[in-house]
Amino acid sequence: MTTPGLRQRSAHTDEEQGRVRAVAASARGACKVYGAGETAVAALDDVTLDLPAGRFTAIMGPSGSGKSTLMHCLAGLDTLTSGQVLIGGTDLASLSDKERTILRRDRLGFVFQAFNLLPTLTAEENITLPVDLAGHAPEHEWFGTVVDTLNLRDRLRHRPSELSGGQQQRVAVARALITRPDVVFADEPTGALDRKAGVELLRFLRSVVDDLGQTVVMVTHDPGAAAYADRVVFLVDGGIVEELTEPTRERVLEIMGRLGD
Amino acid sequence: MLRLSLRNLLVSKLRLFLTVAAVTVGVSFVSGTFVLSDTMAKAFDELYVGLTNGTDVVVKSQPAFEADITTNGGQVRPIDEAMVDQVRAVPGVALARGSVTGFALILDKEGRPIQPGGAPTFGASIGDARLSGDFVYRQGLEPTRSDQVAIDARTADQAGFVLGDRIDVVFQSGRQTFTLVGTIGFGETDSLLGATMAGFDLTTAQRLFDKVGLVDEIDVQAQRGVGAEELRDRIAATLPDGVEALTGDQVAADGSAAVRDAMGIFTQVLLVFAGISLLVGSFVIWNTFNVLVAQRRREVALMRAVGATRGQVLRGVLLEALLVGTFSGGLGLGLGVGLAAGIRSLLKLVGVEMPTTSPAVEPRTIVAALLVGVLVTMVAAIAPAWAATRVAPMEALRDAVPARYAAGWSRSVAGGVLLTAGSAGLVACIVVGDQRWWTVLSTLVTFAGLVVAGPTLARLTAAAADHGRRGGGWRMAARNVERSARRSAATALALTIGLTVVVAVAVSAASLRESVADAVSGGNRSDLILEPAGAGLGVSPAVADLLRDRDDVADVVELRETGARVNGHDSLVSAMNADGLGRVIDLGIEEGSLDTFGPGAVLVSTQRAEDLGVGVGDSVTVTFPETGSTTMRVAATFSRGALINASYVLALPDFAANVTSELDAAILVNSAPGVDPAQGKEDITAALADYPNVTVNSPDDITEKAQSSVNQLLGIVTALLLLAVVVAVLGIVNTLVLSVVERTRELGLLRAVGGTRRQVRTVVRRESVLMSLLGAVTGVALGTVSGVALSRALVDEGFTTVAVPTVTLAIYLLVAAAVGVLAAIGPARRASRVDVLRAIASE
Ligand SMILES: Nc1ncnc2c1ncn2[C@@H]1O[C@H](COP(=O)(O)OP(=O)(O)O)[C@@H](O)[C@H]1O
Ligand SMILES: [Mg+2]
Repeated sequence: MTTPGLRQRSAHTDEEQGRVRAVAASARGACKVYGAGETAVAALDDVTLDLPAGRFTAIMGPSGSGKSTLMHCLAGLDTLTSGQVLIGGTDLASLSDKERTILRRDRLGFVFQAFNLLPTLTAEENITLPVDLAGHAPEHEWFGTVVDTLNLRDRLRHRPSELSGGQQQRVAVARALITRPDVVFADEPTGALDRKAGVELLRFLRSVVDDLGQTVVMVTHDPGAAAYADRVVFLVDGGIVEELTEPTRERVLEIMGRLGD
Repeated sequence: MLRLSLRNLLVSKLRLFLTVAAVTVGVSFVSGTFVLSDTMAKAFDELYVGLTNGTDVVVKSQPAFEADITTNGGQVRPIDEAMVDQVRAVPGVALARGSVTGFALILDKEGRPIQPGGAPTFGASIGDARLSGDFVYRQGLEPTRSDQVAIDARTADQAGFVLGDRIDVVFQSGRQTFTLVGTIGFGETDSLLGATMAGFDLTTAQRLFDKVGLVDEIDVQAQRGVGAEELRDRIAATLPDGVEALTGDQVAADGSAAVRDAMGIFTQVLLVFAGISLLVGSFVIWNTFNVLVAQRRREVALMRAVGATRGQVLRGVLLEALLVGTFSGGLGLGLGVGLAAGIRSLLKLVGVEMPTTSPAVEPRTIVAALLVGVLVTMVAAIAPAWAATRVAPMEALRDAVPARYAAGWSRSVAGGVLLTAGSAGLVACIVVGDQRWWTVLSTLVTFAGLVVAGPTLARLTAAAADHGRRGGGWRMAARNVERSARRSAATALALTIGLTVVVAVAVSAASLRESVADAVSGGNRSDLILEPAGAGLGVSPAVADLLRDRDDVADVVELRETGARVNGHDSLVSAMNADGLGRVIDLGIEEGSLDTFGPGAVLVSTQRAEDLGVGVGDSVTVTFPETGSTTMRVAATFSRGALINASYVLALPDFAANVTSELDAAILVNSAPGVDPAQGKEDITAALADYPNVTVNSPDDITEKAQSSVNQLLGIVTALLLLAVVVAVLGIVNTLVLSVVERTRELGLLRAVGGTRRQVRTVVRRESVLMSLLGAVTGVALGTVSGVALSRALVDEGFTTVAVPTVTLAIYLLVAAAVGVLAAIGPARRASRVDVLRAIASE
């Protein structure tokens, strides 16, 4: 399903930037240190990364390599020890807690591994939660587009406990998209799903990028999942060690083997 | 993991505190009441023993019966002074001294009466110090001349009198000036329970109290080697009929027994309030344990899976309740002792000085405190503990997200039936009237209905709030209330109990205020009503004489009162002069006529006539404490005695023949025709300058006075009930904290997707407001209906009309909502500080 308007928008930026895609979010010299002194752990060590708009980026790396930390910092859920995170040109460090909260609400979307939904709200209410929190009425047309893209039309009145794991994650994706965010962050979104549901969710994420023109960043350690992305960034010990565009499962496996995961 | 368990421990510390506090308030109330009354009883015992120290035998008139001391001042018939010599002549008597007491009101330097709230103002003869026990002169010496007085050290202190000052004292017969020659203490204290005392030499006192040639009692000291009981028997053998001899110990014991009786009522009233806070507390406990069990379902299921029996699970939860109960009981006991001390200081502040003694913590108090603490907690925890045993081992494997409460149909229906039955009962009580027990029963049934239908009501409340702007926090708050409907209902019901009682009392008070106004406007025909100021004992009879001599006064009718027995039933008996009676008051004569009222006749209220089964023309036996029985004829029955609070009205001469005190409880006055009411009041007030203890009131003043005393009582009762409301608020805080902890992940998620801290706080606050409003609305509704039914039931006690104080009730509702906001402050802050990352991190 395509939305001509959105295609036009990304085409427009392409022209404006002269073949260089707009950057939705970026990290500049990002460092994150947990603890202090002897026990200090550098979870991120001088990471510089651009996330182009309208693309699907996967972040991979062995367990403990800093993937979640990077994502949390990019998403304004956590703060850096040093360095910068820019969302559409805004430096997160310059924002107060409240401003960051509002930025999350209006310009970012999230999908966590599990427990994405408020159990007391219906699927529809969960999807519109960020808009409701902002006190706006959801854009009717966009809501319909998102719901149809994720095939949730007939699940809107259900509560999370009445949905399957895959459906719950799709509701979470819809919730992340409802504000037309600059970036959607997903931290191992398929981690708690069975294979079939996982594959289905990845297809949906792909179509969110292709059909709706959204920007998605996904943390995963499943090479198969990473193959759905346009580009894969490899993280080891808090630093970026490799990048891969147009990934296939085999190439990802090969790099991971080389990196010694 | 360690951090997590530490955090849980901190959480449960707070929970422990809130849970314990819920019971502790009630327990400390119970133990405080006991400690206070025991301490006071002990102090009185010591005081009486001290005062009768040195007196071996007391000789006085034998009362026909022991009337309540507050109705006749303990006055007995005075005896002939010649009897003192007769007693002194009995072998074995070392000393015998006659004494008199009477009304004596000391005026301060500005001429205002010194009248500590409620305590008597009396005068006495003082003589031989050897007979006076712990009675000591703090300063100066005893009065020996007719113009000398000694007063209690506390009064001297407070009024700033020093030896040599001129002091004015008002007696039954009028006002006189004396020189202060001594100040008196009683053992350690400076006054007798705050009473003011003026002491004179015997001859002067006899003259001042109209008891020349008479004494009220004879105090006797035995010679060395003669036992008190033996001497009592010897003296008794010489006494005429109607005069008795008692040992000093007997007198002390009788005195403290009377005080203990009076205190018994006080204790009972306080215990009722304690009971209400305990009931509220038990709801909080019940709720807490319910939540506790719900949060531990997985843990319990795991235990069951690895082989714990149901009995073990039950015992585990009950053991926890036992610990909480014991701890609360112990803490409450300690606080109660402090509370008792606090109340004593408070009483001292308002002028009631208690004799000092160490606090009396009787074994009974300790047992009661611990038992109440443990029982309330255990009983409240039984249902949750039982529920814990129903947890299936399988649940260990399921997700721990709290299950949504599914309303059982049968429960809703049962609740609805109880609610309907209870409300129908209350409405029936209102319609029929005079049904106090049915009123109480119907209220309880309705409340039971609220308990059973509570979760359904909570869901309805949630449904009512679950609309409007999508962005508003009401939806999420409403959904949370709905999700834990049972818990929300229990929380709200704790508030319901407190508010029901508060509101029922407020409605009753409003009804009483209206009734008082009605009684005055409907029953009064006089222009002015003279009354003793403040809590004074009475108005000097000289005042009525003075008024009769005035040209601007047409009718003067005195009203006197005493405790007496009518056909064997203790009652307050009033007396009025027959002349002019019908012109100053409309008693609402039902049968018979005032024409036949006079000496030998009695007017009886229709209610009492019915109780005693007597009618016009029948005889009744009136027994006076001082003189015994007389037979009187019922002249008429009346229905409007509320104005003068009368059930029986005698003619004044009959009263005077049987009661020593000549003080008037009130004087009803009609101005002469053509006298302007305001001017009349002013003139009479001016004419009574020598009687500063008399207030001259218009009918409106009387209404206002009566209403303000109702308000005062309402204030005290409401303040005591507020403790129960405070417990209910603790319950709200408790529930909120528990649900915030339970929802840490949800709150974190809300923050992650862009909920500001303020929005998170709003959700919690609105949840609190919804619960408070549920409690407030049900409490105010039930309280109003019960209060109306209660007012209708108390028609005999003077509740002739029913009034609902709508403004007050509206304020209560607003306050309840505000309380909801306040209760949410802490939990909401905690909720808004949830660490987003920790909350969303998968374990
Ligand atoms: N809150 C924390 N406190 C201390 N160390 C942390 C914390 N969170 C993450 N770390 C450390 O930072 C490093 C990166 O963690 P993370 O970003 O969760 O890795 P990944 O998601 O790639 O498995 C790890 O060494 C981890 O132990
Ligand atoms: Mg991770």
